[in-house]
Amino acid sequence: MKEQSLFVVPILVSALATFLVRALPYYIKIFDHLPKFLSKCLRLLPIAALGPLIFPGVLLDYGPRFYASLGGILAAFLFAYHKRGMIIPILLSILITYLLLL
Amino acid sequence: MANLLTMESKTQAQLTFADGCKDGFPILIGYFPTAMAFALVCRTMGMKFYQAVLFSVTNFAGSGQFLAANLIGGGALLIEIFISVLLVNLRYSFMGAELSRNLAPGIQGFSKALLAHGTTDEVFSVAVLNRKPITKEYLSGLELTSYSGWVGGTAFGFIVSSALVPALQLAAGVTLYAMFSTLLAQEFRQKGILVLVIAGISALLNSILIILLKVAVGWSFVISMLLSSVIGALITAKEELN
Repeated sequence: MKEQSLFVVPILVSALATFLVRALPYYIKIFDHLPKFLSKCLRLLPIAALGPLIFPGVLLDYGPRFYASLGGILAAFLFAYHKRGMIIPILLSILITYLLLL
Repeated sequence: MANLLTMESKTQAQLTFADGCKDGFPILIGYFPTAMAFALVCRTMGMKFYQAVLFSVTNFAGSGQFLAANLIGGGALLIEIFISVLLVNLRYSFMGAELSRNLAPGIQGFSKALLAHGTTDEVFSVAVLNRKPITKEYLSGLELTSYSGWVGGTAFGFIVSSALVPALQLAAGVTLYAMFSTLLAQEFRQKGILVLVIAGISALLNSILIILLKVAVGWSFVISMLLSSVIGALITAKEELN
């Protein structure tokens, strides 16, 4: 019983916090009548999100062997620039990273 | 030319549940190893199998979960956990605003809550960047596929945790980054150099914040994403990006 509250209660508290920020825009349309500049910022968010989703994590995760993951994502980038689809560039990048780590 | 026409008709057709599942598959592949890593963290902390799975089922948030686990392990107060997780996941509000704005109207009550629960960075990027307009069937498929990767990865990871081949585990860690890199390349091809400028600025900001200024990962993500989209909007103030 003690062990349950030790983990289960904080897990549910964290879940509640996460759900609140997710549900807010679905129920309250506070983001719908924004000034033109702000809505432009909102439209650019997904592109702006890509940078920090890749860097510096891709380098830090691999420490001194960062060249392996960097090579992997560069291969994915180049492939995806020339051809549509996601699965092949991703598999390619795992392969390149694996080979560079050997 | 033929290629162009196929692309055109594909974007015009209504997006189905199956389309969502198909687009969600790379996310599933990407989430799986990360969720396995999370399960390993849970196991090290002394959690039971059902607790680790409950964590992923109810939270479904990469960095938010790692952060929460960290705080729980450090004996943080419930209010600290609540506020930190709220802040780290604040970006979901912006993403949800964009997603729900793109959705056809008429989604009510419980299904709306379920769709909201499925908002993640990756789901958002794929849904908003890849195809428009988004339908609720498409989003459900995308989210459910991603969700099963996250929850399945947690369960699987907890069971096998120590038995993985280290080299392959390490290489598979590149999956999520490769996915973002692929998305970036597709955006770059469609919208031009400004995409690389905006993503480059946010990547640089995030690196400076994390490496030099030692800002927490969740905060750093929010700051660099917001700043860079403002800069991008300033740059494109006179012209339209789309």
